[in-house]
Amino acid sequence: MGFYCCALINYSKKHIHEHAKSKRHNLAIDLLYGGIYCFVCQDYIYDKDMEQIAKEEQRKAWKLQVFSKTSGIGEKYSMWEPTKRELELLRHNPKRRKITANCTIGLRGLINLGNTCFMNCIVQALTHTPLLRDFFLSDRHKCEMQSNSCLVCEMSQLFQEFYSGHRSPHIPFRLLHLVWTHARHLAGYEQQDAHEFLIAALDVLHRHCKDDNGKKANNPNHCSCIIDQIFTGGLQSDVTCQVCHGVSTTIDPFWDISLDLPGSSTPFWPLSPGSDGSVVNGDSHPSGATTLTDCLRRFTRPEHLGSSAKIKCSGCHSYQESTKQLTMKRLPIVACFHLKRFEHSAKLRRKITTYVSFPLELDMTPFMASSKESRMNGQYLQPVDSLNNDNKYSLFAVVNHQGTLESGHYTTFIRQHKDQWFKCDDAIITKASIKDVLDSEGSVAHIHQCSDV
Amino acid sequence: MKMEDMSLSGLDNTKLEALAHDVYSDLVEDACLGLCFEVHRAVKQGYFFLDETDQESMKDFEIVDQPGVDIFGQVYNQWKNKECVCPNCSRSIAASRFAPHLEKCLGMGRNSSRIANRRIASSNNTSKSESDQEDNDDINDNDWSYGSEKKAKKRKSEKNPNSPRRSKSLKHKNGELSSNVNPDLYKYNYSSGISYETLGPEDLRSILTTQCGVVSEHTKKMCTRSQRCPQHTDEQRRAVRVFLLGPSASMLPDSETMLENDGYDAPDGQLIMSRLQWDGSSDISPSDSASSKASTNNSESKRPKKKKNPSTLTLTTTGGGGERDKGQERERVVGSGSGSSSSQNALGLSSRKKRPKLPVPPGPSIYDDLN
Repeated sequence: MGFYCCALINYSKKHIHEHAKSKRHNLAIDLLYGGIYCFVCQDYIYDKDMEQIAKEEQRKAWKLQVFSKTSGIGEKYSMWEPTKRELELLRHNPKRRKITANCTIGLRGLINLGNTCFMNCIVQALTHTPLLRDFFLSDRHKCEMQSNSCLVCEMSQLFQEFYSGHRSPHIPFRLLHLVWTHARHLAGYEQQDAHEFLIAALDVLHRHCKDDNGKKANNPNHCSCIIDQIFTGGLQSDVTCQVCHGVSTTIDPFWDISLDLPGSSTPFWPLSPGSDGSVVNGDSHPSGATTLTDCLRRFTRPEHLGSSAKIKCSGCHSYQESTKQLTMKRLPIVACFHLKRFEHSAKLRRKITTYVSFPLELDMTPFMASSKESRMNGQYLQPVDSLNNDNKYSLFAVVNHQGTLESGHYTTFIRQHKDQWFKCDDAIITKASIKDVLDSEGSVAHIHQCSDV
Repeated sequence: MKMEDMSLSGLDNTKLEALAHDVYSDLVEDACLGLCFEVHRAVKQGYFFLDETDQESMKDFEIVDQPGVDIFGQVYNQWKNKECVCPNCSRSIAASRFAPHLEKCLGMGRNSSRIANRRIASSNNTSKSESDQEDNDDINDNDWSYGSEKKAKKRKSEKNPNSPRRSKSLKHKNGELSSNVNPDLYKYNYSSGISYETLGPEDLRSILTTQCGVVSEHTKKMCTRSQRCPQHTDEQRRAVRVFLLGPSASMLPDSETMLENDGYDAPDGQLIMSRLQWDGSSDISPSDSASSKASTNNSESKRPKKKKNPSTLTLTTTGGGGERDKGQERERVVGSGSGSSSSQNALGLSSRKKRPKLPVPPGPSIYDDLN
């Protein structure tokens, strides 16, 4: 029997009904969504083979779209659908939990193993990094390491623990052991720096990640492990010769941005409120308080290198004075700011406790290399493109240090469920207000690129 | 109106608004239709009910926001008795003391002094004897008990004159997860020293190059401390070597000539530098944190550097016995009487060598039966 199928035209005018009866074309397809209607069953039907074909065609069409190439999204997102067997299981197990806004699942305390709060606070930040969480919960890591000392596997296990629903705090002893095994320079029972731990942990995770698409990682030009995809950005350094104005540019990868603070022994560039950057990022604290954007502006300012640090200029073929400027060439999806509160200079060692206010939402546009180029081309005030979300970030974790340089304690504020914040103090997790977060001192702040979802 | 006749410029405001409204309603209708299809399909395929959850269970997981308790409704500070099993030595340790334990267990950290850690190449010895010792001056460490889980022996009395706080621990590979320890490697009684009568000349030679070896008159056992052990004199040590190995073996290796200083610093630092390049355009790995070096602040590191005490770190290699790649395994003899010594440097070498392990069979997974 042949298969005749006609498009659904003007359903309400019943044209299609007559057509179906007269021609006995019992199947019709809806042009908008591709649903198939059967006139005999008098309902839309879902045929597995047809759906397979449809999916395949949709996938091909998606790839042809321009935006899929530029945004890098290779495939259209399709939601998970349970198989028959899975449906059966789910039906037999009605006691299901869903992660809703008022749910504790995903939150868990961490036992302090002996001055390991520096590790605990970074673990909390990582387990609440949405992309990382999604990667591990969807079981994307396929381990190729022979031994059982893969840190990525342990990370995966950590997420399982956090989403297990257990209320007692987790004991991250295996994690500590693995990190100390793989990052020797960190090992040793003494108080350590949370930021250093973050970098070391990312480094080991990166080394242990094979490219989960099958390609071998650690190829210098093509590492696409999850760590690189999420955390690696590009920092552009432009050195301009004062004489010939030739610019030498290098781009270095980075996982974090370390910011100097006012009050350190190096002078903080005095900034007047209202200079570019502060208009875009509405700083809600009273003027006078240093803001994160102040620190970023300082970080990206042109710096005169002075006569004692002349650079060999390839244009002038001699050593010349120069200025150097840092900007962001490429921002990672998750960026970490590290406020350099611990000063270890020749003269003194101390902790800088200057309060720095940071915003819940941050637009990184003024600090991008592309913005700098526009500024240099004379377009001083760029219109704020409110539709372009590429450079908009929101805060999701803040690590705090209380105490002195020699002895102190780390805690973390993390964001869960859009606007709920929690304070993670080793084994104790409590609810926190946004005010608590914004009033805190801040040593490391994690921001996440805003998506449209 | 035919399509060709339409021209927007000719229409007045109300007509434009009507047109806009039409477009808008069409769009809304289409969107609603899409939603209807979604629900219809979910019902027809049978997964519409998935959204339902068990209210009772959900209540258990509601966030609690009360003073004095955490979000689970638990009182603070009730977790003092948590324990965990050390992956290195397989002993059960109190969780809050795990970090200091691990530091010593892995042989790192500046406060623990280490004693000779020796492995005899298995191919060259029929009778294996292992002398792994841990000289532990940490007064907090009073819960050492030895052996793997197979051989759980508690340390006996601490009154042994040879080694008041000495005890043998498992062979542990520095920097590696311990595999199962072969209990056959242990030929001697843990608590009181080495019995020289049962050892062959090869073993004796090995032992005597790294340990004091002086035989106690009380126990007739050899002292297992280092060669600089303060309890015995060099004369005594020489004597026992002559006694056990013959007159030709009277020479003690001179600790001075074997001195190695902090040459191991470099490998650690270089480990960081040599990591993955990115984009080909830079020699720096993100772990170098180019941004932190960019600022003119003098501070390079945030932690106080660990004290290094080169004069106390002594390395020797045994002459006899199995072939051992010098680059891979070294014995470490640390003067027990000379206070703290830096342990990190020497470990820089061993950490770079990773032995392939047997593949770990995947554990049972809840998804197993779903396939």
